[in-house]
Amino acid sequence: MSSFNTPHHLYLFAMQNGKKKLAYGPSPAEAYENLKLRLTPAEMKSVIKDQYQQITQRELHQHARELG
Amino acid sequence: MRRLWLDLGDLGVFVNPSGPHEKWQDHGLGLLRTILRQNGVETDLASLRSLRSWRELDPLLAGYDMLLMNIRSYTFPFAYKAARQFKKVNPKGLVITGGMHATVAPDEMEQIEAFDRICQGPGENTIVGLAKDPLAFPRVIQGSGAKSMAEWPLMDRTLWPNPKRPDFPWPLEPECGWGPNPVATVITSRVCPWQCVFCNESSYIATMGRKPVDQVIDELNYLDDHYGPLGSVVIHDSMFFQQPAWLKEWLEKYPRKAHKIWPYWAAGRADTVRQWPDLFEALIRETRWDHLSLGFESGSDRVLKILNKECTAEDNYFAIDLANRIGDDMERQGKPAPKFWANLMLGIPGETHEDAFATIRMLKRMKRVLPSISFYAPYPGSALGYQLIAEGKSLMRKDNYHRFPSDEKLKGIDYRFYSQLLAGKFDREINRGLTDSAQAGSYEEALFKA
Repeated sequence: MSSFNTPHHLYLFAMQNGKKKLAYGPSPAEAYENLKLRLTPAEMKSVIKDQYQQITQRELHQHARELG
Repeated sequence: MRRLWLDLGDLGVFVNPSGPHEKWQDHGLGLLRTILRQNGVETDLASLRSLRSWRELDPLLAGYDMLLMNIRSYTFPFAYKAARQFKKVNPKGLVITGGMHATVAPDEMEQIEAFDRICQGPGENTIVGLAKDPLAFPRVIQGSGAKSMAEWPLMDRTLWPNPKRPDFPWPLEPECGWGPNPVATVITSRVCPWQCVFCNESSYIATMGRKPVDQVIDELNYLDDHYGPLGSVVIHDSMFFQQPAWLKEWLEKYPRKAHKIWPYWAAGRADTVRQWPDLFEALIRETRWDHLSLGFESGSDRVLKILNKECTAEDNYFAIDLANRIGDDMERQGKPAPKFWANLMLGIPGETHEDAFATIRMLKRMKRVLPSISFYAPYPGSALGYQLIAEGKSLMRKDNYHRFPSDEKLKGIDYRFYSQLLAGKFDREINRGLTDSAQAGSYEEALFKA
Protein backbone atom coordinates (compact mmCIF):
# COMPACT_ATOMS: atom_id res chain seq x y z
CA MET A 1 0.00 0.00 0.00
CA SER A 2 2.66 2.37 -1.15
CA SER A 3 1.00 5.77 -1.27
CA PHE A 4 -0.46 5.30 2.20
CA ASN A 5 2.69 4.22 4.01
CA THR A 6 5.56 5.51 1.85
CA PRO A 7 4.49 8.72 0.14
CA HIS A 8 6.71 9.96 -2.65
CA HIS A 9 8.16 13.42 -3.25
CA LEU A 10 9.48 15.27 -6.29
CA TYR A 11 13.14 16.31 -6.41
CA LEU A 12 15.14 18.45 -8.81
CA PHE A 13 18.71 17.22 -9.08
CA ALA A 14 21.38 19.60 -10.33
CA MET A 15 23.13 18.61 -13.57
CA GLN A 16 26.66 19.28 -14.77
CA ASN A 17 25.30 21.47 -17.60
CA GLY A 18 23.40 23.76 -15.24
CA LYS A 19 20.05 22.18 -16.00
CA LYS A 20 17.98 20.11 -13.61
CA LYS A 21 16.72 16.55 -13.68
CA LEU A 22 13.33 15.77 -12.19
CA ALA A 23 13.18 12.61 -10.12
CA TYR A 24 10.74 11.16 -7.61
CA GLY A 25 10.58 8.64 -4.82
CA PRO A 26 10.17 8.28 -1.06
CA SER A 27 13.61 9.87 -0.44
CA PRO A 28 16.24 11.74 -2.47
CA ALA A 29 18.43 8.63 -2.53
CA GLU A 30 15.63 6.44 -3.86
CA ALA A 31 14.60 9.12 -6.35
CA TYR A 32 18.17 9.14 -7.68
CA GLU A 33 18.13 5.34 -7.94
CA ASN A 34 14.79 5.45 -9.74
CA LEU A 35 16.32 7.68 -12.42
CA LYS A 36 18.62 4.80 -13.30
CA LEU A 37 15.58 2.75 -14.32
CA ARG A 38 15.19 4.81 -17.48
CA LEU A 39 18.45 6.71 -18.03
CA THR A 40 21.65 5.27 -19.46
CA PRO A 41 24.85 5.29 -17.36
CA ALA A 42 26.14 8.08 -19.61
CA GLU A 43 23.03 10.16 -18.93
CA MET A 44 23.30 9.49 -15.21
CA LYS A 45 26.85 10.85 -15.15
CA SER A 46 25.53 14.38 -15.65
CA VAL A 47 23.21 14.16 -12.61
CA ILE A 48 24.76 15.41 -9.36
CA LYS A 49 23.58 13.02 -6.68
CA ASP A 50 23.99 15.21 -3.62
CA GLN A 51 22.63 18.48 -5.04
CA TYR A 52 18.88 18.41 -5.03
CA GLN A 53 15.88 20.47 -4.10
CA GLN A 54 12.51 19.07 -3.05
CA ILE A 55 9.51 20.66 -4.77
CA THR A 56 5.78 20.20 -4.45
CA GLN A 57 3.59 19.04 -7.27
CA ARG A 58 1.95 22.48 -7.42
CA GLU A 59 5.36 24.04 -8.17
CA LEU A 60 6.07 21.71 -11.07
CA HIS A 61 5.23 24.14 -13.89
CA GLN A 62 7.48 26.93 -12.69
CA HIS A 63 10.46 24.58 -13.01
CA ALA A 64 9.64 23.12 -16.44
CA ARG A 65 12.06 25.42 -18.27
CA GLU A 66 14.96 24.44 -15.98
CA LEU A 67 14.82 20.79 -16.97
CA GLY A 68 17.37 19.09 -19.14
CA MET B 1 -22.02 41.13 -29.74
CA ARG B 2 -22.41 37.79 -31.54
CA ARG B 3 -20.53 34.98 -29.86
CA LEU B 4 -19.88 31.47 -31.13
CA TRP B 5 -18.68 28.59 -28.97
CA LEU B 6 -16.88 25.97 -31.03
CA ASP B 7 -16.91 22.39 -29.74
CA LEU B 8 -13.60 20.73 -30.65
CA GLY B 9 -12.92 17.15 -31.70
CA ASP B 10 -12.40 14.87 -34.66
CA LEU B 11 -14.22 15.98 -37.77
CA GLY B 12 -17.09 13.71 -38.67
CA VAL B 13 -17.48 11.98 -35.31
CA PHE B 14 -21.11 13.12 -35.07
CA VAL B 15 -21.73 12.37 -38.74
CA ASN B 16 -20.09 9.07 -39.56
CA PRO B 17 -19.92 5.83 -37.58
CA SER B 18 -17.12 6.28 -35.05
CA GLY B 19 -15.75 5.04 -31.78
CA PRO B 20 -17.93 5.73 -28.74
CA HIS B 21 -15.19 7.48 -26.79
CA GLU B 22 -14.88 10.20 -29.46
CA LYS B 23 -18.49 11.14 -28.81
CA TRP B 24 -18.29 12.11 -25.15
CA GLN B 25 -19.73 15.53 -24.55
CA ASP B 26 -17.55 18.28 -23.08
CA HIS B 27 -18.52 19.01 -19.47
CA GLY B 28 -16.38 22.17 -19.44
CA LEU B 29 -18.28 23.53 -22.41
CA GLY B 30 -21.60 22.57 -20.85
CA LEU B 31 -20.84 24.12 -17.48
CA LEU B 32 -19.42 27.38 -18.85
CA ARG B 33 -22.24 27.88 -21.37
CA THR B 34 -24.73 27.24 -18.54
CA ILE B 35 -23.03 29.93 -16.42
CA LEU B 36 -23.02 32.33 -19.35
CA ARG B 37 -26.71 31.79 -20.05
CA GLN B 38 -27.63 32.24 -16.39
CA ASN B 39 -25.84 35.57 -16.52
CA GLY B 40 -27.58 36.74 -19.67
CA VAL B 41 -24.66 36.12 -22.05
CA GLU B 42 -25.86 34.11 -25.03
CA THR B 43 -23.55 32.03 -27.20
CA ASP B 44 -24.32 30.12 -30.36
CA LEU B 45 -22.78 26.72 -30.81
CA ALA B 46 -21.06 24.83 -33.60
CA SER B 47 -19.19 21.56 -33.41
CA LEU B 48 -16.21 20.46 -35.47
CA ARG B 49 -17.46 16.95 -34.82
CA SER B 50 -20.54 17.68 -36.94
CA LEU B 51 -18.46 18.68 -39.96
CA ARG B 52 -17.09 16.47 -42.70
CA SER B 53 -14.36 18.87 -43.79
CA TRP B 54 -12.73 22.13 -42.73
CA ARG B 55 -14.32 23.82 -45.76
CA GLU B 56 -17.66 23.55 -44.00
CA LEU B 57 -16.43 25.67 -41.09
CA ASP B 58 -16.07 29.11 -42.78
CA PRO B 59 -19.78 29.70 -43.38
CA LEU B 60 -20.49 28.80 -39.75
CA LEU B 61 -17.96 31.36 -38.51
CA ALA B 62 -19.14 34.25 -40.67
CA GLY B 63 -20.61 37.25 -38.90
CA TYR B 64 -19.43 36.49 -35.37
CA ASP B 65 -17.56 38.96 -33.16
CA MET B 66 -16.18 36.34 -30.82
CA LEU B 67 -15.07 32.71 -30.94
CA LEU B 68 -14.77 30.77 -27.67
CA MET B 69 -12.99 27.42 -27.31
CA ASN B 70 -12.19 25.02 -24.46
CA ILE B 71 -8.84 23.53 -25.53
CA ARG B 72 -7.29 20.28 -24.37
CA SER B 73 -3.84 19.19 -25.54
CA TYR B 74 -5.29 16.69 -28.00
CA THR B 75 -7.61 19.34 -29.49
CA PHE B 76 -4.95 22.07 -29.65
CA PRO B 77 -4.18 21.50 -33.37
CA PHE B 78 -7.88 21.84 -34.17
CA ALA B 79 -8.17 24.99 -32.08
CA TYR B 80 -5.43 26.95 -33.77
CA LYS B 81 -6.62 25.93 -37.22
CA ALA B 82 -10.15 27.04 -36.32
CA ALA B 83 -8.84 30.30 -34.84
CA ARG B 84 -6.96 31.11 -38.04
CA GLN B 85 -10.05 30.42 -40.14
CA PHE B 86 -12.12 32.59 -37.81
CA LYS B 87 -9.69 35.51 -38.21
CA LYS B 88 -9.75 35.12 -41.97
CA VAL B 89 -13.53 35.25 -42.05
CA ASN B 90 -13.88 37.88 -39.29
CA PRO B 91 -10.66 39.97 -39.26
CA LYS B 92 -11.93 42.12 -36.40
CA GLY B 93 -13.28 39.21 -34.38
CA LEU B 94 -11.75 38.07 -31.09
CA VAL B 95 -10.74 34.53 -30.19
CA ILE B 96 -11.11 33.64 -26.51
CA THR B 97 -9.43 30.45 -25.38
CA GLY B 98 -9.08 28.48 -22.18
CA GLY B 99 -8.95 24.93 -20.96
CA MET B 100 -6.32 22.45 -19.93
CA HIS B 101 -3.80 23.18 -22.67
CA ALA B 102 -3.80 26.86 -21.75
CA THR B 103 -2.84 25.79 -18.27
CA VAL B 104 -0.19 23.19 -19.03
CA ALA B 105 1.38 24.67 -22.17
CA PRO B 106 0.94 28.45 -22.06
CA ASP B 107 4.04 29.00 -24.24
CA GLU B 108 2.50 27.06 -27.10
CA MET B 109 -0.78 28.92 -26.69
CA GLU B 110 0.90 32.34 -26.65
CA GLN B 111 2.70 31.53 -29.90
CA ILE B 112 -0.65 31.42 -31.70
CA GLU B 113 -1.29 35.02 -32.70
CA ALA B 114 -4.91 34.29 -33.46
CA PHE B 115 -5.58 33.57 -29.77
CA ASP B 116 -6.51 37.02 -28.45
CA ARG B 117 -7.18 35.99 -24.87
CA ILE B 118 -5.86 32.91 -23.09
CA CYS B 119 -7.46 31.95 -19.79
CA GLN B 120 -5.37 29.62 -17.64
CA GLY B 121 -6.86 27.51 -14.87
CA PRO B 122 -10.53 27.20 -14.04
CA GLY B 123 -12.92 29.62 -15.71
CA GLU B 124 -16.18 29.43 -13.78
CA ASN B 125 -15.77 32.80 -12.12
CA THR B 126 -14.03 34.48 -15.07
CA ILE B 127 -16.00 33.50 -18.14
CA VAL B 128 -18.86 35.99 -17.81
CA GLY B 129 -16.64 39.06 -17.51
CA LEU B 130 -14.35 37.78 -20.22
CA ALA B 131 -17.16 37.12 -22.68
CA LYS B 132 -18.77 40.49 -21.98
CA ASP B 133 -15.67 42.67 -22.16
CA PRO B 134 -12.58 40.78 -23.31
CA LEU B 135 -10.58 43.93 -23.97
CA ALA B 136 -10.66 44.72 -20.26
CA PHE B 137 -8.39 41.70 -19.67
CA PRO B 138 -4.71 41.16 -20.47
CA ARG B 139 -3.88 38.59 -23.14
CA VAL B 140 -3.05 35.87 -20.61
CA ILE B 141 -5.46 35.65 -17.71
CA GLN B 142 -5.34 33.56 -14.57
CA GLY B 143 -8.90 32.30 -14.27
CA SER B 144 -10.65 31.68 -11.02
CA GLY B 145 -12.86 28.77 -10.13
CA ALA B 146 -15.34 27.69 -7.53
CA LYS B 147 -14.11 26.54 -4.11
CA SER B 148 -16.45 23.57 -4.26
CA MET B 149 -18.36 21.75 -6.94
CA ALA B 150 -21.42 22.40 -4.77
CA GLU B 151 -21.33 25.94 -6.16
CA TRP B 152 -21.68 24.73 -9.76
CA PRO B 153 -25.12 25.19 -11.27
CA LEU B 154 -26.98 22.20 -12.64
CA MET B 155 -25.48 21.91 -16.09
CA ASP B 156 -27.96 22.49 -18.91
CA ARG B 157 -27.16 19.58 -21.19
CA THR B 158 -29.24 21.01 -24.01
CA LEU B 159 -26.35 23.48 -24.40
CA TRP B 160 -24.21 20.59 -25.64
CA PRO B 161 -23.97 20.00 -29.39
CA ASN B 162 -26.78 17.88 -30.75
CA PRO B 163 -25.48 15.31 -33.25
CA LYS B 164 -29.06 14.72 -34.43
CA ARG B 165 -28.42 11.05 -35.03
CA PRO B 166 -30.91 8.29 -34.28
CA ASP B 167 -28.27 6.45 -32.27
CA PHE B 168 -27.39 9.47 -30.13
CA PRO B 169 -29.85 10.02 -27.25
CA TRP B 170 -29.06 13.75 -26.86
CA PRO B 171 -28.85 15.43 -24.43
CA LEU B 172 -27.88 12.12 -22.85
CA GLU B 173 -25.04 10.15 -24.41
CA PRO B 174 -24.74 6.83 -26.23
CA GLU B 175 -23.58 3.68 -24.51
CA CYS B 176 -20.01 2.55 -25.17
CA GLY B 177 -20.05 -0.99 -23.85
CA TRP B 178 -20.03 -0.03 -20.18
CA GLY B 179 -23.76 -0.19 -19.52
CA PRO B 180 -27.18 0.15 -21.12
CA ASN B 181 -28.31 3.11 -23.22
CA PRO B 182 -28.85 5.99 -22.68
CA VAL B 183 -25.92 7.10 -20.56
CA ALA B 184 -25.67 10.02 -18.15
CA THR B 185 -22.12 11.21 -17.61
CA VAL B 186 -21.48 13.03 -14.35
CA ILE B 187 -18.52 14.41 -12.44
CA THR B 188 -18.55 14.03 -8.65
CA SER B 189 -14.98 15.10 -7.91
CA ARG B 190 -12.22 17.07 -9.52
CA VAL B 191 -8.56 16.39 -9.12
CA CYS B 192 -6.81 13.16 -8.36
CA PRO B 193 -4.37 14.11 -5.60
CA TRP B 194 -1.79 11.43 -6.40
CA GLN B 195 1.39 12.24 -8.29
CA CYS B 196 1.62 9.78 -11.18
CA VAL B 197 4.11 11.45 -13.49
CA PHE B 198 2.20 10.75 -16.71
CA CYS B 199 -0.61 12.98 -15.42
CA ASN B 200 0.04 15.21 -12.36
CA GLU B 201 -3.36 16.80 -12.71
CA SER B 202 -3.32 18.19 -9.19
CA SER B 203 -0.33 20.32 -10.19
CA TYR B 204 -2.57 22.43 -12.39
CA ILE B 205 -6.05 22.08 -10.92
CA ALA B 206 -6.56 23.55 -7.48
CA THR B 207 -8.15 21.36 -4.86
CA MET B 208 -11.89 21.67 -4.99
CA GLY B 209 -14.64 20.40 -2.71
CA ARG B 210 -16.44 17.32 -3.99
CA LYS B 211 -20.00 17.58 -5.25
CA PRO B 212 -22.34 16.62 -2.42
CA VAL B 213 -23.81 13.14 -2.73
CA ASP B 214 -27.38 14.50 -2.64
CA GLN B 215 -26.58 16.88 -5.50
CA VAL B 216 -25.22 14.03 -7.65
CA ILE B 217 -28.30 11.88 -7.01
CA ASP B 218 -30.66 14.81 -7.60
CA GLU B 219 -28.97 15.46 -10.95
CA LEU B 220 -29.34 11.82 -12.02
CA ASN B 221 -33.00 11.78 -10.97
CA TYR B 222 -33.57 15.05 -12.87
CA LEU B 223 -32.00 13.57 -16.01
CA ASP B 224 -34.08 10.42 -15.61
CA ASP B 225 -37.26 12.49 -15.27
CA HIS B 226 -36.56 14.86 -18.14
CA TYR B 227 -34.64 12.81 -20.70
CA GLY B 228 -34.79 9.21 -19.46
CA PRO B 229 -35.36 6.57 -18.57
CA LEU B 230 -31.63 6.39 -17.91
CA GLY B 231 -29.84 3.14 -18.71
CA SER B 232 -26.51 3.63 -16.98
CA VAL B 233 -24.12 6.19 -15.59
CA VAL B 234 -20.51 7.07 -16.29
CA ILE B 235 -18.79 8.88 -13.44
CA HIS B 236 -16.07 10.76 -15.30
CA ASP B 237 -13.99 11.55 -12.20
CA SER B 238 -10.26 10.98 -12.59
CA MET B 239 -10.46 9.30 -9.21
CA PHE B 240 -13.88 8.24 -7.90
CA PHE B 241 -12.66 5.81 -5.23
CA GLN B 242 -11.22 8.34 -2.78
CA GLN B 243 -12.51 10.14 0.30
CA PRO B 244 -14.11 7.25 2.26
CA ALA B 245 -16.59 9.51 4.07
CA TRP B 246 -18.09 10.63 0.74
CA LEU B 247 -18.09 7.06 -0.58
CA LYS B 248 -19.86 5.77 2.54
CA GLU B 249 -22.55 8.43 2.11
CA TRP B 250 -22.88 7.41 -1.57
CA LEU B 251 -23.20 3.78 -0.48
CA GLU B 252 -25.94 4.67 1.95
CA LYS B 253 -27.94 7.11 -0.19
CA TYR B 254 -27.58 6.07 -3.84
CA PRO B 255 -29.51 2.78 -3.52
CA ARG B 256 -32.18 4.49 -1.44
CA LYS B 257 -32.66 7.86 -3.11
CA ALA B 258 -31.92 7.31 -6.80
CA HIS B 259 -34.94 6.39 -8.93
CA LYS B 260 -33.08 3.21 -9.79
CA ILE B 261 -29.68 1.76 -8.98
CA TRP B 262 -28.25 2.50 -12.40
CA PRO B 263 -25.05 0.55 -13.03
CA TYR B 264 -22.04 2.78 -13.37
CA TRP B 265 -18.45 3.06 -14.54
CA ALA B 266 -15.99 4.78 -12.22
CA ALA B 267 -12.27 4.93 -11.54
CA GLY B 268 -9.99 3.90 -8.71
CA ARG B 269 -6.45 2.87 -7.84
CA ALA B 270 -5.20 -0.49 -6.65
CA ASP B 271 -3.72 0.87 -3.45
CA THR B 272 -6.99 2.51 -2.46
CA VAL B 273 -8.74 -0.79 -3.07
CA ARG B 274 -6.20 -2.44 -0.78
CA GLN B 275 -6.64 0.31 1.80
CA TRP B 276 -10.45 0.13 1.85
CA PRO B 277 -11.36 -3.37 0.56
CA ASP B 278 -14.65 -3.62 2.46
CA LEU B 279 -15.85 -0.31 1.05
CA PHE B 280 -14.79 -1.39 -2.44
CA GLU B 281 -16.73 -4.64 -2.12
CA ALA B 282 -19.81 -2.95 -0.69
CA LEU B 283 -19.88 -0.39 -3.53
CA ILE B 284 -19.72 -3.16 -6.11
CA ARG B 285 -22.38 -5.29 -4.46
CA GLU B 286 -24.81 -2.58 -3.31
CA THR B 287 -24.45 0.32 -5.76
CA ARG B 288 -23.73 -1.57 -9.01
CA TRP B 289 -20.24 -0.25 -9.59
CA ASP B 290 -20.25 -2.65 -12.54
CA HIS B 291 -17.27 -1.29 -14.47
CA LEU B 292 -14.15 -0.87 -12.39
CA SER B 293 -11.78 1.49 -14.15
CA LEU B 294 -8.58 0.80 -12.27
CA GLY B 295 -5.32 2.46 -13.22
CA PHE B 296 -3.06 -0.55 -12.99
CA GLU B 297 -0.70 0.82 -15.66
CA SER B 298 1.89 -1.96 -15.32
CA GLY B 299 2.54 -5.37 -13.82
CA SER B 300 6.16 -4.46 -13.13
CA ASP B 301 7.40 -2.75 -9.98
CA ARG B 302 10.27 -1.21 -11.99
CA VAL B 303 7.83 0.49 -14.33
CA LEU B 304 5.46 1.50 -11.55
CA LYS B 305 8.43 3.34 -10.02
CA ILE B 306 9.24 5.03 -13.34
CA LEU B 307 5.63 6.22 -13.43
CA ASN B 308 5.69 7.23 -9.74
CA LYS B 309 2.47 5.27 -9.37
CA GLU B 310 3.02 4.80 -5.63
CA CYS B 311 1.48 1.34 -6.05
CA THR B 312 3.16 -2.03 -6.34
CA ALA B 313 2.40 -4.97 -8.56
CA GLU B 314 1.29 -6.69 -5.35
CA ASP B 315 -1.30 -3.94 -4.82
CA ASN B 316 -2.52 -4.53 -8.38
CA TYR B 317 -2.83 -8.27 -7.83
CA PHE B 318 -4.67 -7.70 -4.55
CA ALA B 319 -7.32 -5.61 -6.37
CA ILE B 320 -7.55 -8.09 -9.24
CA ASP B 321 -8.00 -11.11 -7.00
CA LEU B 322 -10.56 -9.33 -4.83
CA ALA B 323 -12.67 -8.26 -7.81
CA ASN B 324 -12.37 -11.72 -9.38
CA ARG B 325 -13.61 -13.27 -6.13
CA ILE B 326 -16.50 -10.83 -5.79
CA GLY B 327 -17.42 -11.45 -9.44
CA ASP B 328 -17.41 -15.23 -9.01
CA ASP B 329 -19.67 -14.92 -6.00
CA MET B 330 -22.09 -12.55 -7.71
CA GLU B 331 -22.28 -14.82 -10.75
CA ARG B 332 -23.13 -17.73 -8.48
CA GLN B 333 -25.97 -15.60 -7.12
CA GLY B 334 -27.18 -14.89 -10.67
CA LYS B 335 -26.14 -11.24 -10.50
CA PRO B 336 -24.07 -9.35 -13.07
CA ALA B 337 -20.41 -9.57 -12.12
CA PRO B 338 -18.21 -6.47 -12.16
CA LYS B 339 -15.80 -6.04 -15.05
CA PHE B 340 -12.45 -4.35 -15.12
CA TRP B 341 -11.85 -1.46 -17.44
CA ALA B 342 -8.14 -2.13 -17.10
CA ASN B 343 -5.98 0.90 -17.80
CA LEU B 344 -2.57 -0.32 -18.89
CA MET B 345 0.38 1.46 -20.39
CA LEU B 346 3.13 0.18 -22.65
CA GLY B 347 6.06 1.84 -24.38
CA ILE B 348 7.25 3.49 -21.19
CA PRO B 349 10.83 4.77 -21.22
CA GLY B 350 12.98 2.29 -19.33
CA GLU B 351 10.49 -0.57 -19.73
CA THR B 352 12.13 -3.90 -20.62
CA HIS B 353 10.54 -6.72 -22.58
CA GLU B 354 10.17 -8.66 -19.33
CA ASP B 355 8.36 -5.68 -17.76
CA ALA B 356 5.92 -5.63 -20.67
CA PHE B 357 5.39 -9.38 -20.39
CA ALA B 358 4.56 -8.86 -16.70
CA THR B 359 1.89 -6.34 -17.67
CA ILE B 360 0.22 -8.68 -20.14
CA ARG B 361 0.54 -11.54 -17.63
CA MET B 362 -1.27 -9.36 -15.09
CA LEU B 363 -3.98 -8.56 -17.62
CA LYS B 364 -4.55 -12.26 -18.15
CA ARG B 365 -5.18 -12.71 -14.42
CA MET B 366 -8.35 -10.59 -14.73
CA LYS B 367 -11.35 -12.85 -15.26
CA ARG B 368 -13.76 -10.27 -16.63
CA VAL B 369 -11.97 -7.49 -18.39
CA LEU B 370 -12.21 -4.80 -21.02
CA PRO B 371 -8.55 -3.93 -21.62
CA SER B 372 -7.68 -0.30 -22.24
CA ILE B 373 -4.07 -0.25 -23.36
CA SER B 374 -2.18 2.87 -24.39
CA PHE B 375 1.29 3.70 -25.48
CA TYR B 376 2.79 6.15 -23.01
CA ALA B 377 2.44 9.73 -24.30
CA PRO B 378 4.72 12.51 -22.94
CA TYR B 379 2.24 15.33 -22.58
CA PRO B 380 3.43 18.74 -21.41
CA GLY B 381 2.07 19.48 -17.96
CA SER B 382 3.03 16.10 -16.55
CA ALA B 383 6.34 15.66 -14.72
CA LEU B 384 7.65 12.88 -16.93
CA GLY B 385 6.31 14.62 -20.04
CA TYR B 386 8.15 17.83 -19.20
CA GLN B 387 11.33 15.87 -18.46
CA LEU B 388 11.26 13.82 -21.67
CA ILE B 389 10.50 16.91 -23.75
CA ALA B 390 13.51 18.61 -22.12
CA GLU B 391 15.65 15.58 -22.94
CA GLY B 392 14.60 15.82 -26.60
CA LYS B 393 13.01 12.37 -26.51
CA SER B 394 9.40 13.27 -27.29
CA LEU B 395 8.06 12.65 -30.78
CA MET B 396 4.86 14.54 -29.98
CA ARG B 397 4.58 17.99 -31.50
CA LYS B 398 1.97 20.66 -31.17
CA ASP B 399 0.58 19.70 -34.58
CA ASN B 400 0.24 16.04 -33.66
CA TYR B 401 -0.96 15.95 -30.05
CA HIS B 402 -4.07 14.62 -31.62
CA ARG B 403 -2.82 11.27 -32.69
CA PHE B 404 -3.79 7.72 -33.42
CA PRO B 405 -3.40 5.06 -30.72
CA SER B 406 -0.58 3.30 -32.56
CA ASP B 407 1.43 6.48 -33.28
CA GLU B 408 4.99 6.53 -32.00
CA LYS B 409 5.34 8.96 -29.13
CA LEU B 410 8.93 8.60 -27.92
CA LYS B 411 12.39 8.15 -29.36
CA GLY B 412 14.12 4.95 -28.35
CA ILE B 413 10.99 2.85 -27.94
CA ASP B 414 10.74 -0.32 -29.99
CA TYR B 415 7.12 0.03 -31.11
CA ARG B 416 7.44 -2.98 -33.41
CA PHE B 417 8.03 -5.15 -30.34
CA TYR B 418 4.85 -3.78 -28.75
CA SER B 419 2.78 -4.45 -31.86
CA GLN B 420 4.02 -8.02 -31.85
CA LEU B 421 3.35 -8.29 -28.13
CA LEU B 422 -0.27 -7.19 -28.56
CA ALA B 423 -0.66 -9.61 -31.46
CA GLY B 424 0.30 -12.47 -29.16
CA LYS B 425 3.74 -13.23 -30.60
CA PHE B 426 5.31 -13.62 -27.15
CA ASP B 427 2.49 -15.57 -25.53
CA ARG B 428 4.72 -18.55 -24.80
CA GLU B 429 6.93 -16.43 -22.54
CA ILE B 430 3.97 -14.60 -21.04
CA ASN B 431 1.90 -17.69 -20.36
CA ARG B 432 4.64 -19.41 -18.38
CA GLY B 433 3.14 -20.09 -14.97
CA LEU B 434 -0.41 -19.08 -15.90
CA THR B 435 -3.35 -21.45 -15.66
CA ASP B 436 -4.70 -22.83 -18.96
CA SER B 437 -7.85 -20.72 -18.74
CA ALA B 438 -5.82 -17.53 -18.36
CA GLN B 439 -3.57 -18.12 -21.35
CA ALA B 440 -5.77 -17.01 -24.25
CA GLY B 441 -5.95 -13.47 -25.46
CA SER B 442 -4.79 -11.12 -28.18
CA TYR B 443 -4.99 -7.43 -27.44
CA GLU B 444 -4.48 -5.71 -30.80
CA GLU B 445 -7.97 -4.22 -30.61
CA ALA B 446 -7.42 -2.96 -27.07
CA LEU B 447 -5.06 -0.11 -28.01
CA PHE B 448 -6.57 3.26 -27.10
CA LYS B 449 -5.48 6.86 -27.31
CA ALA B 450 -3.46 7.86 -24.24
